[in-house]
Amino acid sequence: MKWRRPIGIALVASLVCSGATPTAAQALSQRGFAESRVTLFPQEAPPDEERAVLDLMAREEVFVKPAAWLQFAAGLDLRQNTHDQVDNSWHVDFTDRGTMRPAISVRRLSATIARGPFTVDLGKQFIRWGKADIVTPTDRFAPRDFLNVIDTEYLGVTAARGVAQFGAHTIDAVWSRFTPSRVPLINQRWAPQPATPIPITVAGSEAVFPDGSQVGLRYSHVARRAEYSLSVFDGFNHLPNIEAVAAPQPGAVTLVRSYPTMRSYGGDVAVPTPWFTVKGEAAYSSSDTPATDDYVLYVIQLERLSGEWNFSGGYAGEVVTARRAVATFAPDRGLTRAIVARAGYTIDSNRRLAVEGAVRQDGQGFYSKVEYSQARGQHWRATLSGIVIAGSPDDFLGQYDRNSHVGVALRYSF
Amino acid sequence: MSQVLQKTRLAALLVATLSLHVFAADSARQIVDESQKRTQAKSQRYEGLLQVFDAKGKISDKRWTLERLGSHGQSKAVLRFTAPAEVKGVALLIVNHPDRASDQWMWTPGIERDRRIALQDRSTRFFGTDFSFEDLEERDVDQYEYQLLGEEAIDGASCWKIQSTPRVAKGSQYTRSLVWIRQDNYTFARIESFIKDQVVRRLNYSNIQNVQGIWTARQLEMADLRRGSRTRLTLDKLEYNVALKEEDFTLQAIRRP
Repeated sequence: MKWRRPIGIALVASLVCSGATPTAAQALSQRGFAESRVTLFPQEAPPDEERAVLDLMAREEVFVKPAAWLQFAAGLDLRQNTHDQVDNSWHVDFTDRGTMRPAISVRRLSATIARGPFTVDLGKQFIRWGKADIVTPTDRFAPRDFLNVIDTEYLGVTAARGVAQFGAHTIDAVWSRFTPSRVPLINQRWAPQPATPIPITVAGSEAVFPDGSQVGLRYSHVARRAEYSLSVFDGFNHLPNIEAVAAPQPGAVTLVRSYPTMRSYGGDVAVPTPWFTVKGEAAYSSSDTPATDDYVLYVIQLERLSGEWNFSGGYAGEVVTARRAVATFAPDRGLTRAIVARAGYTIDSNRRLAVEGAVRQDGQGFYSKVEYSQARGQHWRATLSGIVIAGSPDDFLGQYDRNSHVGVALRYSF
Repeated sequence: MSQVLQKTRLAALLVATLSLHVFAADSARQIVDESQKRTQAKSQRYEGLLQVFDAKGKISDKRWTLERLGSHGQSKAVLRFTAPAEVKGVALLIVNHPDRASDQWMWTPGIERDRRIALQDRSTRFFGTDFSFEDLEERDVDQYEYQLLGEEAIDGASCWKIQSTPRVAKGSQYTRSLVWIRQDNYTFARIESFIKDQVVRRLNYSNIQNVQGIWTARQLEMADLRRGSRTRLTLDKLEYNVALKEEDFTLQAIRRP
């Protein structure tokens, strides 16, 4: 962690600059917000008796363009939480490898060089592949924060990305250092629980991170009637296998997270029709790590904007070609074999309503979220959300049936 | 004899009517063509202030910047929101085509993804304004049939009143439009857009100024007549023929704020 201080200095410098002249002819721009969020759970979920959680968060992102071909981006997140979900040590976190959310973390720190048809991004950045919503099988460079399994956020990855665009053809090549998804804390309500209680104590958890790097290549083509991509990924799954290892204490285990190798071949397509845009995305993923499944994830969805409405919905499926896994945390697969849908309604220029949901095809798991938000003036937005989760304890969604909740968030954007 | 005379008169009247109709169509097209020629520029840039007035009179402000390379059906444009703060960085790439509807992609920084706006989705309001996605594209004169309906004054200025009908009906949400073009400087004064026989949107142009030799309306007001709301767009820092590069109008470029 020798580089913590230079990163901190660079960020402070960029944040100070951001306050100087935000309208300096596009050379400098910023965006940010401060948000407080209260989440209330009507039910306790053993072992977690906490039913009210307060989150505070501030984010600032600065973009500096010293030349037409060069841009620097820096972003910093500050967090606090009343339920021990934030690591309160005051170091600036860059790697996003901790079990808890860092109090201060670098969200992005990158340089972009654009010359003619070529664009190169270096540093911590966000890389999104695929076209589908909710379940995105080819989106392999996009780890997420699953501390609260339902309300997730993407984590940046440290990567070198080169993109070449020649007319309708684009080639995207990525080399990346591994960044894991953040999984639920073991002593809290979002930790996966066995369907039948086991008389052992979880003494703690630890992670074994892979040493190697990851690479990916994606070809995209935009045609008049359709657009499609083909991609290949060779690296590691950002979601872990979980192994229970005997702890020194009698009757206790330590949960060890390890990240299996993954080679994935996928593609996505979007075809507009007169009624809907039809989107499809699929990927076959295999691994040479023992006790790891090979499988195909696929999504077929319809999408439409109409008047004040937007709608997307479809089916997410899974075909396991080799079943070897014992225990995993895999929300991407947990949301498959399900009908997923999302709809939004813009009431007026300040108010909007959104509904999303997933229903497992066997009826064993159900999730639905309703969200109303209203802006006031140029800076404020209040959001009220209600989430209902129901189902059987042995279903990925159903295991969280005591985690239905309501949330109120107040955001000041600047 | 009188029957022959009557037939001759009828034929003459028919020929005259057809000629007038063809002349009206020709002259209408020439007027629109001339209007388009007079606004040709290599590029354009402005900062837009959008004031959205809802049906109850509440006002909300938004700001965007627009950069455009080329003109009309040969142009590409990037429109980027700069305010309010929560939508900063949202960008729309519009690639216009001379012979068909544009291609459009929207970049949403909150989810770090771009999304193609399909043709059938273009009637949707653009980010809570009264402009639809289709209203933001520029179409070439050849994509419409025209008919000169007469002359009318708009805000005291004499105008030609022209009906335009899209040649490919499925390419537009609008069945037809009425366009008023000022006779003094060939700028647009008003457009009324119809779905079937109902006028659904009215766009008024005002504060017309000569900017670098191009007569340009510095204020546009779009009214959604079904909702009772309207959006006023004021063009600030308007420049033509600024130095812009082709590579700034790609999907890669709209990712960069």
